[in-house]
Amino acid sequence: MTSPTPAGSLFQHYFNSNYTYDELLGVDGNLRPHWESFFASFKGLGPAEIQNRNGDLTRLLKENGVTYNIYGDPAGFKRPWKLDPIPFLIGRQEWQTIESGLIQRAGLLDLILKDIYGPRRLIRAGLIPMELVYNHAGFLRQCAGIQLPGKHNLVLYAADIARGSDGKIWIVNDRTQAPSGSGYALENRMAMARILPELFNGFKVRRTAAWFEDLRNALEEIAPGQKPAPRIVILTPGPGNETYFEHSYLSSILGFTLVQGNDLIVKDNYVWIKTLGGLEKVDTILRRVDDVYCDPLELKEDSQLGVPGLLGAVRSGHVSIANPLGSSILENPGLMPFLQPIARYLLGTDLIMPTIASWWCGQEREMGYVLDNIRSLVIKRIYKDSYGSTSVDAASLTEKQLYQLKLQIKAHPSLYVGQEKIHFSSTPALVNDKIEPRHALFRSFLVSNGESYTAMAGGLTRSSSEPGNFVISNQRGGISKDTWIISPEPGRVLNVRKELPPAAAGNSSGGMLPSHTAENLFWVGRYTERVLGNARFLRTVIKFVAEGNRLLVEQDVQAEQGLLLKALTRYSYTYPGFFANGSQEKSADDPWPELHNILFDGKRTGGLHYNLSLFNQAVHAVRDHWSTDTWRVLREIEEEWALAAALENPGPGKTLEALDGLITSMVAFVGLNRESISREQGWIMLDTGRKIEQSLLLINMLRATLVHYYDKQSQYDLQEAVLSSSESLVNYRYKYKAPLQLSLVLDLMLLDDNNPRSLVYQLERLKNYLANLPKNQPGNHLSEHEKLIWEAYTLLKLSNKEQLSVFDPAISDPAVFDTLGRIPENADGRHGNRERRQGGMDAWHGNAVGSYGNLEEFLSKMYSLLLAIPDNISKTYFKHAQSQKQLFTHR
Amino acid sequence: MHYKVTHTTRYTYYEAVSLCHNIARLIPRSTDKQVCRSAVLEIYPAPDILDEYEDFFGNKVTYFAIQHEHKSLTVTVSSEIVRTNPGTLEFSLYENTPWEAVKEQLYSLRPVDTDILQYIPETQMTQASPEILEYALRSFTPGRPLFEAARDLMQRIYENFEFEPGFTTVTTPLSLVMKERKGVCQDFAHLAIACIRSVGLAARYVSGYIETIPPEGTEKLTGVDASHAWFALYVPGSGWIDFDPTNNQLPADQYLTIGWGRDYSDIVPLKGVIVSSGPHRLSVSVDVRRVNNNAERPS
Repeated sequence: MTSPTPAGSLFQHYFNSNYTYDELLGVDGNLRPHWESFFASFKGLGPAEIQNRNGDLTRLLKENGVTYNIYGDPAGFKRPWKLDPIPFLIGRQEWQTIESGLIQRAGLLDLILKDIYGPRRLIRAGLIPMELVYNHAGFLRQCAGIQLPGKHNLVLYAADIARGSDGKIWIVNDRTQAPSGSGYALENRMAMARILPELFNGFKVRRTAAWFEDLRNALEEIAPGQKPAPRIVILTPGPGNETYFEHSYLSSILGFTLVQGNDLIVKDNYVWIKTLGGLEKVDTILRRVDDVYCDPLELKEDSQLGVPGLLGAVRSGHVSIANPLGSSILENPGLMPFLQPIARYLLGTDLIMPTIASWWCGQEREMGYVLDNIRSLVIKRIYKDSYGSTSVDAASLTEKQLYQLKLQIKAHPSLYVGQEKIHFSSTPALVNDKIEPRHALFRSFLVSNGESYTAMAGGLTRSSSEPGNFVISNQRGGISKDTWIISPEPGRVLNVRKELPPAAAGNSSGGMLPSHTAENLFWVGRYTERVLGNARFLRTVIKFVAEGNRLLVEQDVQAEQGLLLKALTRYSYTYPGFFANGSQEKSADDPWPELHNILFDGKRTGGLHYNLSLFNQAVHAVRDHWSTDTWRVLREIEEEWALAAALENPGPGKTLEALDGLITSMVAFVGLNRESISREQGWIMLDTGRKIEQSLLLINMLRATLVHYYDKQSQYDLQEAVLSSSESLVNYRYKYKAPLQLSLVLDLMLLDDNNPRSLVYQLERLKNYLANLPKNQPGNHLSEHEKLIWEAYTLLKLSNKEQLSVFDPAISDPAVFDTLGRIPENADGRHGNRERRQGGMDAWHGNAVGSYGNLEEFLSKMYSLLLAIPDNISKTYFKHAQSQKQLFTHR
Repeated sequence: MHYKVTHTTRYTYYEAVSLCHNIARLIPRSTDKQVCRSAVLEIYPAPDILDEYEDFFGNKVTYFAIQHEHKSLTVTVSSEIVRTNPGTLEFSLYENTPWEAVKEQLYSLRPVDTDILQYIPETQMTQASPEILEYALRSFTPGRPLFEAARDLMQRIYENFEFEPGFTTVTTPLSLVMKERKGVCQDFAHLAIACIRSVGLAARYVSGYIETIPPEGTEKLTGVDASHAWFALYVPGSGWIDFDPTNNQLPADQYLTIGWGRDYSDIVPLKGVIVSSGPHRLSVSVDVRRVNNNAERPS
């Protein structure tokens, strides 16, 4: 089919299919000039290098945390974004037509939107059938009469565009609710410019980044009262949303605070953001939550994603939302056949770009056509169902399904539209290192500039995952492409640096930490330490196991087996674990299955893998807080642990290696945050969480290991385990130059303020952090959590290591001890299975010959004081935890 | 006829509530059959924010917010309403027009009258099913005059369905009402509306009150001591005609209208969102009293 071209050999797999229109070829059957130049550069890199770069591209996007969540698929959560190194090219001349067509269409849709929520004269004049509006779920009668400041109500608009088999460009979908994809488009461009700069050689590719300045301007323009520096927030449904990556990405490049519904509150008819320091007024909301979910008072009552009273604040003109609530009425394929007459009526001109041929079944003749020709059409509902697809390729249906569909159309004709099936053109895509033809859909983004609209010079192209597939959707595994608007003038090189995103405005979000974000950062801190603490303790235990320490394996001292393993179970709350009845001896003989389970089973509550997942969830919930470097570390943590978990039989060596890697990466994560979390309060929150968790874990570890006495050797080994898993063993030897003894271990781990692992070290920092949290009440009195930390700190400071080390022999067997309660030299703890219940939960200490009562009492008191602190912080600062409730008068 | 209505709604919370947003549709409209002379809304504790506006359907809406801690909320509306058209209904023109012909006329209204046509499509709460359509078609037989068909539908609902308070809630679907043949005024109104819409005609949901004093020797009307609901059918030339399927009556004197919508969700008397974790208790009382005509009417 094709004559040899400069890039001919690249296409050996390409031209086997019989496509009527191909993006590559001009009417003369030769490669179009811009593709020819492109493939010259492409070929210049060579197949091996292309393969390398393609790998780099994937890695970069992964490291940057670019993800897309697939609904209904647990494995689809946080799916890495896929980018084809071959972009979609649009020549400048063609782009000029597309651009003017889109601008015209955005303007037209804006007029329609204003009319629908205003005088509705298009309906009265018969230009829009009323059913198309009144039967559409997106027609929110509560929003009638709402007007944004400025000329436009439709601030943002996106259109899905495809080229048909005849070479013509068609508009397939309008996106007016909360158009997504612009952030992905920018990220695609950034990745291409970094990894494949050579491909831009010889082209003048228009920049996409500038569009985000226009976006920011537009959002500032619509703020109520023409404020000089309005406060703008991005409202997201949360980390579970398919495009959550983009929400946080936009938040960081635009400098707008990312909020969820429960971060906001309506008071005095204004919208406020709940921050740690109190309420701050919000002027403009960039909305990524579907409109019906935005206000449970007036819209969808059971929505947990919105802000009660929001619509009232909008109505009062105290807050502007882009796009305005109710704008999803325009995402309405039923409108398509009426746009041309409306354009003539309102603008006095024809549409520049054609709309795909559509037949609205609300008209008898059109319904007849659709029913007669259904096999050759795509059938769409005029609005999206809450779940499920809105469009069906009727040709793909069985006879029975087709019959059902026809019945539905006849029952509710006004809800259905038949659309011509476009035979998309094909465009080259790199698939498994070969160039293959794929269908592509291009999304373009427009934003109001006050007078007219500005289109992004570029956009997001997605191609189908399978050859010949016409349904292109990210949810179904499509692959994205960068989109280049180019002019054929050679010799001009893209300035990669210019593609950097606009600098964040800064002042609009200055120091604002939504309480919801604060809570997530707090939990990131806690999980960080939980993972670290557990990893270190596990490492110590595994070393003991691997080295055949008597605590674990010595056969002739059955009763003392597994003390450390039991301490592990207790420390990590992975009961029954090494306490399991009957299996006790067995698991002590071969602790590996249980250890492996704790390490790698993601479903094992309290296990390391489980805590790591909690950590990851918390990290993703506040993803806009992490720098690129931090993301790389986070990726490594996730990937390396997954690799280790996948090993059939890792053995101690590999396991310790994995634990070492994990610990190093987690420490790196903590260190990077110190440098990169700019918002002071954010860092305080994260570190407060860390310090609380560290304190609680330390107390837990001491209670699990040091409170009970078995025999000298066990005590020694357990003390050593404490020190080594706290990385304080060297410190101990250096400081005391003495063999291990309880009072000194306690001195180092509890009271030494030079030891960064000691309790007093954590509490001092915690005390400072808590004192720095914003006061919610005026005056000089301490808040509840401050009182608690002072009490805990004082208790610690007043304690005495000798007092804490006083030994209480087990009462039930006084004969073992001398009259002074000292441990006799020969006591080795072999006392059979005598039950000594102490404090209810210590049945497992059946073999202990005594305990350190003062220590236990002290640790237990300390634990409950510290545990009350997060509760109090939560009540004071994370008030969103309270749920909203509906009140109804029942009839 | 001149009426005074006192309608009190009271929420008691087990835990103090620090913020609540509410929307009340309690101020009666004036219509061609009634004049609302006055209506006073008393809210305790006094709201920090109060706005009044008209909604899409022309109903009077009061938004209010209480932004300080409170353990109960009481909303009382006291209104004075005069019924102006004591119920001589004129259908002569359409008495004999078959319902199919009326349907044709509705659709050929020019210019398009959205105020009427918007009441034809089904809504979430008035979803039709094959059962409902079948139930409707037994009244809407071919060629039957519209008024007669609607009246028959009302009567059949009254006879086939049992009034049973507490059986349904605001979220009970019509399919269950159909299946169990039980419900309250709201369900019967929704059912009738769903039936009428399923055959392509316009019907709306009316929220209001019904006078409570029973005439001597007759049975007490159901639906007293609470707000009431019924439906209205659009008849070209005559306008909106009320039907009360709960009592099998054509509402006249004793019926006072608050407002209307496509279904209950458009005209909820009082709804709100509170931020609280505790439970709450609700009590409602309605009192409709006839006022001495001579004393009130200026000479």
